[in-house]
Amino acid sequence: MTFPGSTEGLPLLSILIFAPLAVAAVAALIRSERGLRWWTLAGTTAIALFSLQLWTGFTAGTAAFQFVEHATWIPGLKINYTVGIDGISLLLVLLTTLISPLCVLCSWSYIKTRVHEFMLCLLVMETAMIGVFCALDSILFFVFWEAMLIPMALLIGVWGGPRKIYASLKFFIYTMAGSIFLLVALIALRLHTGTFCIPDLMGQQYDPAFQCWVFAAFFISFAIKVPMFPFHTWLPAAHVEAPTAGSVILASVLLKMGTYGFLRFCLPIVPYATHVFAPYVLWLSVIGILYGSFAALAQSDLKKLVAYSSVGHMGFATLGIFALNTSGIEGATLVMINHGVTTGALFIAVGIIYERLHSRELAAAAGLGRFMPVFTFFLGAFCLSSLAFPGTNSFIGEFLVLSGGFSVSLLLVACAVPGVVASAAYNLRMLQRIAFGGTHNPEHHDLKDLNFREIVTLAPLLVFVFWIGLHPQPFVNVMHASVQHLLAQVGAFPR
Amino acid sequence: MSPAQLASLVLLIPLISAAVIALFLRRQGALASYLSVAAAAGIAVASAMLIFGGQRNFPASVEWLRFGGFAVSFGFKFDDLAALMLFVVSFVGFFIHVFSLGYMRDDAAKARFFGGLSVFMFSMCGIVLADNLFMIFVFWELVGFSSYLLIGHWYERQSAADAAKKAYIVNRVGDFGFLLGIVMCYWLNHTVNLTELAARAPAGGLVFSRAIPLLLFCGAVGKSAQMPLHVWLPDAMEGPTPVSALIHAATMVAAGIYMLCRIQVLMVPQALTVIMWVGTITALYAAVCAIVQSDIKKVLAYSTLSQLGYMVAAFGLGAVLSRSPDGYTGFVSGTLYDGPAFLISAGAAAAMFHLTTHAFFKALLFLGSGSIIHACHHEQDIFKMGGLAKRMPWTFLTFTVGVFAIIGLPFFAGFFSKDAILFLARQNNIVVFWVLVFTAVLTAVYMTRLWRITFFGEARSESAAHAHESGATMVIPLVVLAVGAALSGYGFFYDHLLGGAFKGVLSLVPEPEGPAHWMMIAVGTGAMFVGASFALGYYRPAAVDRLQAAVPVVFGALVAIKESFDRLYGYYVAKVQQRLAVLLDVIDQVLIAGWIVRGGTTVVGYLGMGARLLYSGKLYAYAFWILIGVVILWGFAAGGF
Repeated sequence: MTFPGSTEGLPLLSILIFAPLAVAAVAALIRSERGLRWWTLAGTTAIALFSLQLWTGFTAGTAAFQFVEHATWIPGLKINYTVGIDGISLLLVLLTTLISPLCVLCSWSYIKTRVHEFMLCLLVMETAMIGVFCALDSILFFVFWEAMLIPMALLIGVWGGPRKIYASLKFFIYTMAGSIFLLVALIALRLHTGTFCIPDLMGQQYDPAFQCWVFAAFFISFAIKVPMFPFHTWLPAAHVEAPTAGSVILASVLLKMGTYGFLRFCLPIVPYATHVFAPYVLWLSVIGILYGSFAALAQSDLKKLVAYSSVGHMGFATLGIFALNTSGIEGATLVMINHGVTTGALFIAVGIIYERLHSRELAAAAGLGRFMPVFTFFLGAFCLSSLAFPGTNSFIGEFLVLSGGFSVSLLLVACAVPGVVASAAYNLRMLQRIAFGGTHNPEHHDLKDLNFREIVTLAPLLVFVFWIGLHPQPFVNVMHASVQHLLAQVGAFPR
Repeated sequence: MSPAQLASLVLLIPLISAAVIALFLRRQGALASYLSVAAAAGIAVASAMLIFGGQRNFPASVEWLRFGGFAVSFGFKFDDLAALMLFVVSFVGFFIHVFSLGYMRDDAAKARFFGGLSVFMFSMCGIVLADNLFMIFVFWELVGFSSYLLIGHWYERQSAADAAKKAYIVNRVGDFGFLLGIVMCYWLNHTVNLTELAARAPAGGLVFSRAIPLLLFCGAVGKSAQMPLHVWLPDAMEGPTPVSALIHAATMVAAGIYMLCRIQVLMVPQALTVIMWVGTITALYAAVCAIVQSDIKKVLAYSTLSQLGYMVAAFGLGAVLSRSPDGYTGFVSGTLYDGPAFLISAGAAAAMFHLTTHAFFKALLFLGSGSIIHACHHEQDIFKMGGLAKRMPWTFLTFTVGVFAIIGLPFFAGFFSKDAILFLARQNNIVVFWVLVFTAVLTAVYMTRLWRITFFGEARSESAAHAHESGATMVIPLVVLAVGAALSGYGFFYDHLLGGAFKGVLSLVPEPEGPAHWMMIAVGTGAMFVGASFALGYYRPAAVDRLQAAVPVVFGALVAIKESFDRLYGYYVAKVQQRLAVLLDVIDQVLIAGWIVRGGTTVVGYLGMGARLLYSGKLYAYAFWILIGVVILWGFAAGGF
């Protein structure tokens, strides 16, 4: 595919991708930790505000990639620097730029050692995450994909909990194993088509057997990232040991790369194989929903609880994607955004508890609502969102996914229902114990309620919980054309 | 003001009240309570203007979400059915608000309570006015949430916190059936708008399926606490008594019946049969349970279950639309079909009629029990009361009216509405008829037992001995509701006092004529008489239940019947679900442990031998392995060219 030169005006995407690195470069020069925190916060906030230009400049009615930039990178191997976004990646880029300053905020007093290195990791992560969602060249995509791995492993391994080394290794090996399959698939496609350009890979007439092999490689790679059952075991370990900001990035953005990969690679590039494998993936998703939700019921560690709930929520995302219809995929995209908002917020909330009590045990936190009413208010709203209460963001996403899944099979959706009920049970269990429950814990008496910084951290996410919940139309509008185009691509290949 | 604006006002008033209380009045309990009561008054006025303004089926709808062919809108459907329900909610709701002023005067968390009441009024009015199933579902969940908040009002008590959680989760089970039903209705009929569904029926443009009405009925089973999801309602009595009166007797639990009437057009005969039996069995089961309760509110709770069973059975007994060349007719008493706007059968009409009278007398009974509990310093055991007739004359008098109404004493409200249901059963299903008659006997037994033991004899505890009549804010609502409980069974009450505003529903209530009429009166009165005289003769105002003391086997058996469901669910949660959850957790741990112990060779077989080499713990080794992999692949690729 040839791109019509670069878009006029500023190369918005490139600025966005490399701005965090620029912020990091300056940050390395700042001596004082206080100054460093303020500088990183200012930098990431500015990037977030800057990214709003994408929202305002985006043309909703078209499925074409927008803000495209194209430059030759390694001519010998036909590897190019090509970036551009459609409606789906737009939302994910904005989610990333929203989450980043919040990560700085929630680490403000949590991270006391090696602050410079920590902030550098965060900023490198941001570059890589935005890069993944913008890349239109598969090698560029892979480079960003891999580039995320190291800062993330460091975030867990250096600033993590007692078993941080183990968790960090496990995370690294697991995702690395997945990446190898991704690379294999990309190279196989390159051999077949002679290009790394993602849009050019779409709409080709691949041999069915070839498609299935490519799909399998993609699937392993992305399923580990999502994570889908049974590839999920790295997630609870990583979450438990990661510092708050690490968990937030992991849950809010990193997991979305798996589902984004399905949407960007599996569906449009190997549609035949997608149709072949979709029934199995759907059932794996349902198992994931049930498994995650019921496992969350048994957890006494708050982070583990939220981590397992992620497995359940992401099951909804994959369920919607492989339903292969409009409401399924649009619902899945909303679920991805919603999960980023809600689960990110829940991890920040758990971090707030941990900073005060130095424990993440549900029993230790029981009853602190009496002394922290403002915190309880936020926690309550996010728990309601997590259990998909109408009026909050998750409801509309899960509703669309269910109705998309319904058109595939009633049985499938009916099997997911116990998971949905269990999600009410674990969320209420957590909320009730923390907000109201339990004995009077003398340690709670001198607890301080949320300070201004913590309120500022949670408030934007609360706004999105209700904004998407009450007025989802703008979010659906930007992705609609892209989803329709995607569906046309999937449907184009005869079964 | 246009009717659409009035309807919006009905929703906005309580929403604003709730928001103001939540944001500004959390520490001003008194102000919050006045604001909430004022909001309830505002709702009552606006609804009255709407109901008696005569406007029906005015168009009011805005689109909320659209993509492709899928659209969800928010709008109002205001017909006589909605008008009747709105009348019940706003009128009874207002007096329960007033009562709460007195009842909750000394509560520490008054603001939370009254804020919760406003949230409830908002969501309940939303259900009533909604013009599509999706919107009903949204507000349906919201009433569930406010119910959760209010049951758990005294959350320091573990039992209250548990009851709140149980109520929400049990409802959630039903709600997901409801949601699936909505989705299925949408996929098969391409709309969930109630007016559009009704409009398609005559043209034969509606896809009928057994699954749709039964899935939607799941929602009603949860919310109206029908078997087997009834277990949350008795526990919900942990909430403050006005909440029990408003939410768990008069309005929210009746929302299931209202919703069924709303989706009448989707019904098929098989579904109606299921609904009929579920209602009938619930009515009987709950009445049996009520006989062995000693907690005044629990008796009333089981009685509510039983009466809701009557309503559900009535709906199930109703007619299915049968298509004939002349148009639409039902089996019994005709089904009114009035253009695209309105569609209702005799069964639905009988159910709504009983819903209305029940709202009056059950709210009255609950508030009466609230007045007693308040006077007895939160004593709820009827065997520790006694002699209250003298000490609380107003409460006694009004409570007595409520008892007369529920047991179906002639000329009180329940007499008429229960007769309508019994008559319908007599016409359609003789087994159901006799079960419901027997339930009527049991109703008279447990209500008379409650009445006799509570109000007569000697005071059997300190607190009962020092009880005195409640204040005006509590007595006035009792009197008003007692008038309602006495009059709401009469046609003239609706036709003349209320200007015939609900004619579309109530004109369809089946009425026996001629000899059948006298037969029905004889059966109904006879059942009441047998039950009441047995209870009057058998039960004595004493410190122990005579049945328990005299025939412990029977009493024990009845208690066992009552507890069987709780045991079953308790077993499921503790032994099945919790163990499953722990098992999953262990499996996960084993997977994790297996990973450590075996170095990833067997567990992650897909990585094969390579994984063991990879598992060296050194980052540079991993980088090295990627490189090797790339090089090998690349070489392979290059060779392929």
